Amino acid sequence: MNNPLLKILTSSWVELVARWILGATFIYASYSKILAPAVFAKIIYGYDLFPAILINLFAITLPFIELIAGLALLVGVYPRSAALIINAMLLAFIISLSINIIRGHEFDCGCFAIDAGSQATFSGPLLIRDFFYFALGIYVFLFRNSRRLCLTATAK
Amino acid sequence: MRTAKEISIILGVSLLIAFIFNYCHSAGIAVVGQWDTAQGVVTARAKNDIVIAGVEIENVDQAKKLYDSGNYIFVDARSVEDYETGHIPGAVSLPVGRFEENIAAFLERHPPEASIITYCSGRTCQDSHRLAENLLAFGYDNVNVFIDGFPGWEAEGHPIE
Repeated sequence: MNNPLLKILTSSWVELVARWILGATFIYASYSKILAPAVFAKIIYGYDLFPAILINLFAITLPFIELIAGLALLVGVYPRSAALIINAMLLAFIISLSINIIRGHEFDCGCFAIDAGSQATFSGPLLIRDFFYFALGIYVFLFRNSRRLCLTATAK
Repeated sequence: MRTAKEISIILGVSLLIAFIFNYCHSAGIAVVGQWDTAQGVVTARAKNDIVIAGVEIENVDQAKKLYDSGNYIFVDARSVEDYETGHIPGAVSLPVGRFEENIAAFLERHPPEASIITYCSGRTCQDSHRLAENLLAFGYDNVNVFIDGFPGWEAEGHPIE
């Protein structure tokens, strides 16, 4: 344990901060989508990637998966599994954003605030942000020491 | 496997809450929406949906006929910038996002007896419906929505300004 980077990465405090940032971010992201599912559905439609039959199902379920997985990270219930679910979602966001950047399709990402009207913003920074959260998720998933402030015992 | 079981629990709880909440929430939506522009304006089919089919003008020809009759005031629900870039000749700009601040002046010039047709950017946009709903609430009785909007009008080669 002489490597300072290893020392930081194996610290349970660092894990706690990473887990809380990730959890809080997803809880925050779910909030306005839960309040206005019709607006969120319209944004999913705007991605122009999904069959019509799935759009509303995504709009109904995705915000609650974000909320519950975010809460699980925050309070430390099944943290590894919650991190896996969050990374699966992040991977889907990264792929969707990338496809639309590559084909030059202008759209509203609807990542956080969905009430700002239909704003087609440049998606590059969003992609970088998603990769950052993805890295946090991998870290929380791979963390092997005992975790702080967890309701359930952590999987070893 | 333990992780698979945990993931199932998290997803199961999420889905259960999601569908119960959507069923109870006043802003809840249908399980399947209307996302085919060939069938009209796209909408998630929410319980508090603003898309009212009864007031819709379904095609550009019909809108042109009403326009030529001269009995209707066309009202543009889009932003001022979009309006200035191009609009149906003679249309009045009343952006739905700034309805509150502009409705008093609009009421003075156009009494509630006026026949109104609202439009926006076509079938993927609901602003014309929202504007129609606002106008109905302000006492206008004869309000229709031209759902193909400015892009449909322009595509048919009708005059713009």
